[in-house]
Order: sequence, then structure tokens, then C-alpha cells
Amino acid sequence: MKNKVKLVSAFFLTCLFLTTAVVNAQERSITGKVTSSDDGMPLPGVNISVKGSTIGTSTDFDGLYSIDVPSDDAVLVYSFIGFLSQEVPVGTQTEINVILQADQNELDEVVVVGYGSQRKSDITGAVSSVKSDELNAFPVANAEQALQGRAAGVVVQSNNGGEPGAPISIKIRGNTSINASSAPLIVVDGFVGAAMPQANDIESMEILKDASATAIYGSRGSNGVVMVTTKKGKSGRLAIEVNSNYSIQNTADKLDLLNADEFAAYQQSINSGYVQGSADTDWQDLLYKSGNTQNHQFSFSGGSDKINFYASTNYFKQDGVIINSEYEKISFLSNIDAQVTDKLKLGLNLTGSRADKDGVPTQSTGSNGVNGGGDDVVSLMFRFMPDLGIYDDNGNYTTNTIGDNIDNPYAIANEAIDETKTDRFRANLYANYDILENLSFKTTFGYSTINETVGYFRPSTLIVTAGGVGGRAGIDNRRSTNVLSENYLTYKTEIGKGNLTLLAGYSYQKTTTERFSTGATGFISDSFSYYNLGGSEVTIIPSSSITEQEIQSQFGRLNYDYDDKYLLTATVRRDGASNFAKNEKYAIFPSAAIGWKISKESFLEDSETISNLKLRASYGVTGNQAINPYESFSKLSTLFSAIDGQVVGAVVPDQAANPDLKWESSYQTNLGLDLGLFNNKISLSLDYYNIDTKDLLLADASQPEYLGFLTLASIRNVGEINNKGFEIGLNTRNISTDNFSWTTDFNWSTNKNEVVSLINGIDVFLDASPGYFSVSRTHVLREGEAAGVFWGYDYQGVYQGGALPAGTATLAGAQAGDPLFSDLDNSGVITTDDQKIIGDPNPDWTMGFTNTFRYKNLDLNIFFQGAYGGDVFNLTNVQLYNGDSNALKDVLNSWTPTNTDTDIPRAVANRGREISSRFVEDGSYLRLKNIALGYNFSEDIVEKLGIDNLRLSVSAQNLLTFTNYSGLDPEVSYFGSGGESSGESNTTQGFDFGNYPTIKSVNFSLNLRF
Amino acid sequence: MKTYKYLFLLIGLSIIGCSDLEEEPVGLLAPESFFTSVDDIQTAVNGSYGHMMHRYFVSREMSMPLMLRSDMVDLNPNGQGAERVQFNDVNLLADNASIEQYWPKIYQIIGAANEAIAGAKLVDADDAIKNPIVAQAHFARAFAYFHLVRQFGDVPYLDEPVTDLQAASTVTRTPAEEVYANIIADLEFAEEWLPNTQKARSIPAKSAAQSYLALVYLTRGEFQQAYNYAKEVIDNEGTYNLGLDPDFQNLYNENEDASLEPIFVIDFIGMTASDDSDQGMNYQGPYTGIRNDDQYGLGGGWSVEIPSMAVYDTWDDRDYRKEVSFDDTAVFDGVEVSYEHFTDVSVGGYANGVDRPHIAKYNRRNGNLYAGGNGRGSEQNYMMMRYAEVLLIAAEALNEVSPGSAEAHGYVNRIRERARNGGVANNFTSSTFPEDVSGLSQDDFRTMVLEERRIELAFEFKRWYDIARRKLGSEVFSASGLEGEKPTFDANRDYLFPIPVNEIVRNPNLTQNPGY
Repeated sequence: MKNKVKLVSAFFLTCLFLTTAVVNAQERSITGKVTSSDDGMPLPGVNISVKGSTIGTSTDFDGLYSIDVPSDDAVLVYSFIGFLSQEVPVGTQTEINVILQADQNELDEVVVVGYGSQRKSDITGAVSSVKSDELNAFPVANAEQALQGRAAGVVVQSNNGGEPGAPISIKIRGNTSINASSAPLIVVDGFVGAAMPQANDIESMEILKDASATAIYGSRGSNGVVMVTTKKGKSGRLAIEVNSNYSIQNTADKLDLLNADEFAAYQQSINSGYVQGSADTDWQDLLYKSGNTQNHQFSFSGGSDKINFYASTNYFKQDGVIINSEYEKISFLSNIDAQVTDKLKLGLNLTGSRADKDGVPTQSTGSNGVNGGGDDVVSLMFRFMPDLGIYDDNGNYTTNTIGDNIDNPYAIANEAIDETKTDRFRANLYANYDILENLSFKTTFGYSTINETVGYFRPSTLIVTAGGVGGRAGIDNRRSTNVLSENYLTYKTEIGKGNLTLLAGYSYQKTTTERFSTGATGFISDSFSYYNLGGSEVTIIPSSSITEQEIQSQFGRLNYDYDDKYLLTATVRRDGASNFAKNEKYAIFPSAAIGWKISKESFLEDSETISNLKLRASYGVTGNQAINPYESFSKLSTLFSAIDGQVVGAVVPDQAANPDLKWESSYQTNLGLDLGLFNNKISLSLDYYNIDTKDLLLADASQPEYLGFLTLASIRNVGEINNKGFEIGLNTRNISTDNFSWTTDFNWSTNKNEVVSLINGIDVFLDASPGYFSVSRTHVLREGEAAGVFWGYDYQGVYQGGALPAGTATLAGAQAGDPLFSDLDNSGVITTDDQKIIGDPNPDWTMGFTNTFRYKNLDLNIFFQGAYGGDVFNLTNVQLYNGDSNALKDVLNSWTPTNTDTDIPRAVANRGREISSRFVEDGSYLRLKNIALGYNFSEDIVEKLGIDNLRLSVSAQNLLTFTNYSGLDPEVSYFGSGGESSGESNTTQGFDFGNYPTIKSVNFSLNLRF
Repeated sequence: MKTYKYLFLLIGLSIIGCSDLEEEPVGLLAPESFFTSVDDIQTAVNGSYGHMMHRYFVSREMSMPLMLRSDMVDLNPNGQGAERVQFNDVNLLADNASIEQYWPKIYQIIGAANEAIAGAKLVDADDAIKNPIVAQAHFARAFAYFHLVRQFGDVPYLDEPVTDLQAASTVTRTPAEEVYANIIADLEFAEEWLPNTQKARSIPAKSAAQSYLALVYLTRGEFQQAYNYAKEVIDNEGTYNLGLDPDFQNLYNENEDASLEPIFVIDFIGMTASDDSDQGMNYQGPYTGIRNDDQYGLGGGWSVEIPSMAVYDTWDDRDYRKEVSFDDTAVFDGVEVSYEHFTDVSVGGYANGVDRPHIAKYNRRNGNLYAGGNGRGSEQNYMMMRYAEVLLIAAEALNEVSPGSAEAHGYVNRIRERARNGGVANNFTSSTFPEDVSGLSQDDFRTMVLEERRIELAFEFKRWYDIARRKLGSEVFSASGLEGEKPTFDANRDYLFPIPVNEIVRNPNLTQNPGY
């Protein structure tokens, strides 16, 4: 019996045990809610997985989840982009509510790279990130503008000062090319070569700077890549957001010019017969006005667990600080992403815009008998005689009576029409399919088009420009379409302690550009603008063309990390581009990079000081194919010709064949260090780079001009250029308490540019002066020097008469009071042999410095930006001291026999616009680019109003500038009138003349979210 | 699932492009395939003529320097650009902007001619059919090199399209002698094949080739040859449909296309190209015209190239050609104003103008519908060679080989007679001046004929070349010269212009002319 009991007991015990065991082993369900530490709102889409298993789920709209765990020992991992992952042991709990902390540690941020994304901590290349709030610190017409000063090694400049709608150029790590574009590749949501979206629509921007990051873009990677990600909808709640900005703007400065009486006295000192005009006009006052900018954005976004969407529309309008210059842009954007099945995800990005730029002529290249610069309102308001009024006695617009014949600037600003209408549309459709658990395929099909019409009109009331010809008008149209197909496989696997990601893909892109241009003169009426070319008497010979370009590529990448300590990235891309010569179309661009997370090693793992330490090294080759199609062909061009009073067909040799035309290649090395101290309160990035660009594509101005081709400088692969530099990025969280925080972002970079070799070592002389200067040299490309150093005579003060001071001379026929220059060849007279390098426009370093303070609901952002050591060539002053125009007040101190102690030569009728060191100035500056004060209304107020968020802010841009530069603004951007005025030139830098002035603005903005 | 797979395949595969990346340009012309017919050769020759219509050639960068450099045209002293001052003051720098612009343009004329000559070899046609066209290209090439060799002396000489850039980029300057030999060979080819007449004077006929041969030999001092070619033209006056225009003024009319006197002109039609408004734009009107002047409805000129007072004062008032060549009055605000008041702002003048008579040849009769814009839209052609010059070449050359001939005097007298007959300009009826010449010694005749050229061909870009070929510099730039003393004139330097300094940088095998 006893035994039986024992047996039964044993049985029961066993059963109990077994039962317990069975109970223990049985899955049970855990439920809960995940919320954000930021605002306490539920977080949808948070990944929840059981550590060490494949079990996983995610939260729904309301942040709720339910997961089956295998045992009480299970550990749940909660992870979500932008938040710190959290691990929670299950124990006996059945309900686990989690508050995820927003990620203060940027290292776990996911950054977008070419064809994928990576944790920041796993990046081996040089990548800078710019966040949405930085891009929207103040309103900008182009998101490019918002990049200025935000990232080390990135130089951003307007191509025409504060002109409404001026194009913005970005250069990453210097001028890696001379002739081919130095503009970076812009990739928007995977669309290669897209236009930049509105700043408000951008979630993040990544700037890929070294070959390890850019070589995946092969032939287009050598200038760096800007990866733009637009905003996407978040599952769960519908958000409606309104952003509204209004700015008041004024010109930053005015030049101190002569008034009518002073001007007349000045002219009489040159020509005693000068008769003073009857007016006293300050042309700057007449043309400058207060401008304004308004920018309104409305967006709504949201989604379910299957579909997310984001849609926005944006309206931007700027009234420039010069009369009659305006810019208006309307754009829309919509992103839809759908999780169609477990394995298939589809998405569509659509964006479109219309921009109208209604400008006044600035940076004019001249035409129709008006020399370059001759109808440029900005330089004319300095040049034009102050003793003339707007109209003469007969009611016609005045033209000047000294110097070249020019219309008055008020007349041009009022009467000249220069309109650019640009329509852009882009659609990008993608599908992502998970073929296997660790193998996915993504395909993208994109289409974009730009249709741009430029119309101009000069009525007959502009006497010099179009008076005698009865008005002149014309239209140029450009339509460019771009088709892109990209397809790639991504495979991820774990090998022991290592993680391996492989990527392989194929890409094809085709760009077709059609243009036509026509015009007429002799209009029946001045009321047609350019809308009735038929109402004219003479047709300007029309032209039209079509070009096609194709690029096809294969690419692959390997990412391997071992034990989260050792990182390896290798990429390769094979590109073929139609632009190049028959046997030079293909090239291969490899790169490799390694990283070592030293802070993960056991000896640093527990360090309280060093929270992150990583070394990076990369080497790779990238290319540049940014030249026009058909450059390798021998070609004839048509030319306007006449015989017997009739137009006849005519062709002329345009360029010789270049069977060797090929890629420009950049060989890039990058060494980097990332350091985080005190739990990453201080994070520092250091990068050193060296870029050798070989087979430079250059419009070869070293080609003799007696060859007889219409194109004087055809594109050739010439020489080599080197850029090396050092970049520092420092972010510190100085103070961080509940009520108060202070963070600092600082970046500093230096770039040294050197022309290493040119064809046969021959100097290439270039000219950036306006056409009417009739000057043939202002800067040079020379081996061993930076690209585009200034070239001219070396000014040595004023000649006092008598014997020449040692080592100096004057131009032939000079007298006392004329300029003295260094006589380099000791010939006793100044000739072209006495010209030398007289300045370098490349800054020694550039920097950006941002401090952000938050106190309760109030925040203050102060952003300084600066550049040091670059020279500016003040072409404006060349004119304003030349004698045949109005002048700076300083001319009152010109040399005279009784005023000999001066640096300003005697007044003469025409100084000959000598290009000399007299006009080279230090262009260093430090600028308070932005100061902004914002207030977020507290939650209880906001809730009463029934909204989610309400923010008001006021900011000011360009409020203060510290500089010794005597001109209007040290950020200059004149490109001469020799056809380079498209604004992008790697060799023409640092010239000041006639560009639209930089503006100061005060801005009010409102942000409202429902 | 199937649907999605189809969609997937559709997107993923059907859109993958595949291309051989060959460029197939549309609307682009390749020299290898362009030349298929005789008409194509003419199209290429027209390219040469087209380049001549550019501002950088005849209407500005060639014409203005040649005029300023001579003793016949002075520069407005008020605020002119250095490139003009240098020519006027005989003080050139090697980076002179006009030369920099002119140099490539004249070589483009040559490049187009070379293309036409080479392209003709690809055209399958009898010489008898294609050579008359090819001959135009030879003429155009000789015309351009003849300007170059007179301006620069030794120059790079290319006579075929450039295919080897490296070789062409390192050539040395071909000696002037050799350049002249090639010019003569080209003109002889042109003479052989060009027809007696063409449909317009902007296309060279046999007369143009022979006239230029005469001028080339005259320039070289080979007077017998110069005379022979000039005589050939004169003897064929009828065959070539040539003659002196009865009214000297007619030569400077917008409709001079109808005159028998021009032998070779560069045609302007008041139109410009949309991509380069300097292609076809006429600048001599504005440069020579009176600022603020309303008399021709052109909006006034720019008062830049203005003869010295001595040029006007020494020119006999009884000479009808003076009437045609000068404007000594302007119309300001509807009121006629004499030249003494051109700068008087109280009567509407231009303070920084010059109180001197201005050149009228490029403005008075260019008035057509579109000639406004200070005359930039003028249809007036540029006279490169006209029959009167051929007569003067014959006279000058004959005087050198057989002095004292009645024949030589007769050629000059034909021109003088025409001048005496007057014409429509200012209702100038007739005059006793200039009188016929007779019985002059060789030296006196030579002096007379050069003076006759100076007057008859005034402001037609001929005078500087006469000064240079006759080495008159130290005389005309002395204190007694028409423009007073030019102290910087240096006979060892200034008969040639400098090779553009940037060109020597580009091709270090080029040398600079002495003194620059």
C-alpha cells in the first residue's frame, strides 16, 4: 500500500513535474502598448522580437501589440528607427508597456547610402547628414541654399547673390574638375540626377563625400553625392501640417558713390568742357527696394499598417530687392508606400512644380551690339551718370553721355523682360520583393521631364538696346526628358560572428534634350512682349537641336562586419556612357574601405570617457562624364551667311574629331576618425582626403586659335588636378536638463587645390571680365598653382613723376599721377611681360558654427558661417575708378599735382580698365547667417485649440557680416560674359561685378500641426 | 499572388533598357558624309563668307584697327578702350583685345575655305563643274592670308582641314615669302576657274582674282605683274561687266548691289544670327556716326572713329568726294547743327563727342527700314575691292615700270573725272576739281597716286596698308602728319602687329614680332 502510495505519489509528482514542465514550455501571449518618450504618443510600427529567435511582430496604429513568447526566460527586443532599442525580460508578466527613448545616440541612426541604408556606426566612408530642422531653419527657395555651412567640406553658393530664383551651386571637397561639372550628383528617393525637392518636404539629406560612399555611382560620383530622402507617411494617425513664412528683405549694403555735383566736378577735372546735367539721381535708391518672401506649405500624411502616404503642396514667392525682379514657384509632392503582401512592397513618388522667374538683366552677357555688362542693371546703377534723370526733355529714357553708350538702369529694369518658366515633373515607381527571407529584389522605374521656356523682350523705348531696331524679342525652349531603370538584388546573411550584405544591380538611364530658339526685331508695337513674334519686320535666324545621352551600368557592393568591430565595404561599378569616343565608352570604378570600431574592443568597452571610437580608411576611383553629347565627333556647324542680299546655307568646321575622349577619373583616399566622449555628449569626426583627378575634361583653351574651328576650345582630356583637405565636424550637447538644453555644431574644413599638369605644361589664360572691358586675361590655370588664380599687373602706387622708382615702370606714354607697376622684365616699360599671379580666390578654410538653446518651450538658434583667406577681384572698382562712369567717393582723393600723397591715380577719361593687384582684396568674412527664436505653445494651450502643435518663430538672415572687403558683399559670383555665365565654373571664382546683391532678411514663421 | 508576380515581372524586366551606347546625332553634320554634291561645296564656301560677316572680322575688329592705325582716322580722345587707344597711338601691346578677337576669326575664314577645298575632293563631279566653286574657296583663303601677311608678316599657314591637333598645334610661323607664294597660287587657281561674272559682287568672279593678284604684286613691289593683272581687268571691263559708277555717292548706298563698280564686297543684309548677334551686325555705322544725330533716323552714332581736323581741312572743298565722305553737320532735336557745335549740350550735342566732321560713308545712305540701333542693322555692304582701285593700281604700277605714260595718267583722270561730275550728295552739281593730271615725273606721279588712293579710297581700310607697303610711317606720323606727331612710332616694330600673346603661350613654337 505504502509502495502504491509512493508509486502514486511518484506518479503524481512526475505528473506534476511534467505538467509544470509542459506548462513552462507552453507559449503564452504578452500584450502591451509602446509609446514615445518624446510626447507620450503611441508608436505604430515598432518591431518587437524575441531575442535569439525568429519570432516577431510590430505595433499597430495605436501602439498596441501582442506576441507569443516561448517562456518566462524570453527577452523581448523593441526597436524602432530614431529610438533606442529596449530589451525587456518577460518573466511572469503578461502585459508589458514600453516607453521608447528617442535616440540621443546618432550612431544608431540609419543613414541613406547609395542603393540602401546603413547604421551610422557601420559606415566606413565619409558621410555627413543634415536634418530636416537644419534645412528649415529659415525659408529658402532652393533646399540647396539651406546646406550652406551645415556640413564640413560642402561649399554652397548662389550663382547670382540674392536674385530671386538664382541657381545654387554646391561643391563638395573643392573643384575636382576644371571644365566638366563640379556639381554633385543629386539622388532623390533613389532617382539619380533628380531636381532638389522643396526643403519642407525633405526628411534628411546625406552627403556622400569619399569614394567608398560614392563609387557605387561610378561615373557620376566624383563630385560627391547628395542623397535626399523625402518625407513619408507614418502609420497610425493622420497628420496635417501647415508651415507659413513671411520675410522682409533688404539689400545688404550700398556703394558710396558721387552725387551729381561731385560727379560733375570730377568730370571737369578730366575734361574742363564737361557740362553738368540738370538732375541729381541716386540710381541705387531708384532701383533698390524692400523685398519680401513668402513660403507656405500644406501637407497631410498618415497610413494604415499596409499603406502610408505623404502629400504636400508648396507655394513660394519672392519679390526681389531690385524693382521688377520676382520669382514664384508652386510645387507638389506625394509619396505612397504599400505593403501589398508579406513579400511585396510597392511605392510611388510623384512630384511636380512650376517656377516663374521674372528677372531683370544682371550678370549680362550682352548681345545685339550691347557688350557684355552693358545692359546689366546692377553694374549700371553704379556706373550710370548721377547728373542725368530718368527721362530727358523729350520724355525719352536717358542714355549716358560719357563712356560706352548705355541705357539707364531704371529704364532697363522697367522695360526689359526676361522670363524663365520652368515645369518639372517626376514619377518614380518602385517594387521591392522578398524572394527569400534574406534575399530581396528592388526595381525602380523613373521618368522625369523639364520643360523650360526663356522669353525676352526689349522694347524700342530702350534706345541703346533696341531703339533703332523697333524692339527685339525672342523665345528659347528646352525640353529634357530622363528615363531611369534601376534593378538590384540584396542578400544578407550571418556567418558566425560576421554579417554579410551583398548587393548587385543593373541601371540604365537616357536623357533626351530638345531645344529651339527664335526671335525677331522691328515690332509693330511695344505691347507684344515676346508673345507675337509674327508682328515683326525682321526674323532673327532660328535654331533647333536634339541631343541624346545614355548611361548603362552594372554595380555591386559587399558589406561585411565581424563581431560589430571590424567593417569592410567594397564596391564596384562598370559604367558605359554614350558621350565618349567609340572605344572609350566603358570604365570600371572600384572602391574599398575598412573600419575599426575600437570602442567595441574589450579594453574600451567599459570606458566611461570614450563611448565611441572608430577609424575609417577608404580608397577608390570615381568618374565624371558631365560633358555634352557628341563632343568626340568631328563636326560641321551651320552659320548665318548672305550672298546677293539673301540668306544662304552655309557650314563651317566646328571641331576636330577626338577619338580618345574618355572619362575623367578621380582617385580618392579618405582617412577618418569618429570619436564620442561622455556617452557621446561630445562627438567629433575628423577626415583627411586626397583626390587626384586625372584625364581632366577641359575645354582646351591651350589649343591654338589659328586652327580655324568655330569652337575655339574643344573638350579634351588634359592634365591632372589635386585636391586635398581636412575636415572637422564637432557636435556637443553642452547642457541637457529638463528645462534647458544647449547644443553646439561646428564644422571646419580646408581644401587645397592644385593644378598638377596641363597639356605640354602650357598655361591656360582665361577672362572673367565683362565684355565691354575689352580685356583678354584675368586669371590663369598654371601647373603648381590653384585653379583660377588672378592674373595681371602688380600695382605699386602712383607715379610721382621724374625717375621711376627701382623695379617699377608705367605703361608707355604715362605721366605723373598714372599707376606704377612692377617691371618684372626690367624693360623700363610695362608690357604684357609684366603680368603675374596677383591673387588666389580659393579660401584657406571655411566654417559653420551653430548654437541651439532651448529653455522650456523657447528655442534660440544662432548660426555663423565664414570663409578665410580667399581673394576677391573687384571688377566693379575697376570700372568705378576708370573715369568714364560714375565713381566711388574715393576718387575725390585722386592724385593731382597738389595731392600727391594718395594711392589713387589721377583722374583720366579712360584708365583702360587695367587688370592689376590694385583691385585684389581679401575676401575673408564671418557672417551671422541666421539667428532664430522659436516658441512652441504648451500642450494645454494647444489641446484647448484642438491641435497637436503650434510653433511661432522669428529669424533674421545675414544680419551681420564681418569683413574687410570694400565691395558690397564678399560672397561674389560673377562669371564674366564669355558664355560662362551659366553660373557654374570651376575656374572662374572670386570675381565681383554686376551680380545681384546679397540680401538681409527678417522672417516670421508659423508651424501648425493637427 | 500571380497578379503581383506579373506586375513584378512587368516592372522589373520590361523596362530594362539595353543599348550599344553609339551616338547617332540628329541634325549634326560630319565632314566625312556632308560633301555629296557640288552644291555642298558652295555651302562650305558660304561658311567662309559667313565668317567674314562677323564683328570680329570686317565690321569691327579688322576695320577699326586698320582705320585708327592710319593717318586718316583719329580716335575720340574721351574715354576710349585701351585696345583702340593702342592702335591710334601706335603703341600696341601683345594682349590687345581687338587682335585677340580678330585672329581666330580670320583663321575661321581660312578653316572654312580649307574644308570646302578638301570636301570638293569627295564630290564626284568633273573639274569643269566643281572647280568654279572650289575656286571661290581658293579666293577666300588667299583673301584672308593676304590680310594676315600684311598685318603680322610670318604667320601659321594651314591649307587643309586640321585632323591631327597635336601636329597643327605646334607649327612654326611660315615665312611671309612662302605665304605670298601660296596666296598667288590660290589666286591663280581662282583666276583660272572663276567665271567672268557672278550673280552678285559678294561672290568673287575672275575680275576679283585678277584685281587681288594686282594688289598682291603691288604690295610686293612687283610692279610689272601688278600692272599686267590690273590691265587684264581693265581690258575686260565689258566682259566682266565693270565700270566706274557715275555717282561716287552710289557706292555707299544700301542698294549698291546694283552698281557695276564693286568687284568684291562682303554682304550685309540687316539680319543677325540668334545664337550670336555679332554674326551679321554692322558696326562701322555707329563707330563713325555722330552721337545724338537725328539726320538719318538711326538714333545717332557713337562718335568713336573721327578723322583729324587736318584730314578735313586739307581736302579741297571743291572735291565731290569730300561731300560724300564727310558729314559736317548733324541734326540735334530737329535743328541742323554745324560740326563746331557737336559737343554743345545746349543744342543737343554730346559733351564727350568731338567738334569735327565725321565720316559719312557708312551712314548717309544706309538708311533702310532696319538700320536703326545706331546703324548696326545697316544693309550696306563692305567694299573690299572696286574698279577705281584697279585703275589706281594700274596707274601706280605702270608709273614704276615705265614712267610718264599717258596711259597711267589716263587711269587717274578717269577717276578724277567721275569726281568732277558730282552727284546727288548735297546736290553737288559739278566742279572743276580735281583737275586732270598730265606730264608728271615718276616721283611726282607716285606721290600723286598715293594721295589719290588716300582720297578716293578714304575710310575703306586701305590707307594703313599703303603706309606700310610704302614705308611712309616716319613721314605720316611726324609733326607735319595729319594727326600730328606720334612719338612712339618705331619703324622697326610698327609696320607689323604683335602676334596675340595668348597664342604664343598656346604654341610656344610661334615667335613674337620684333619689339613686342
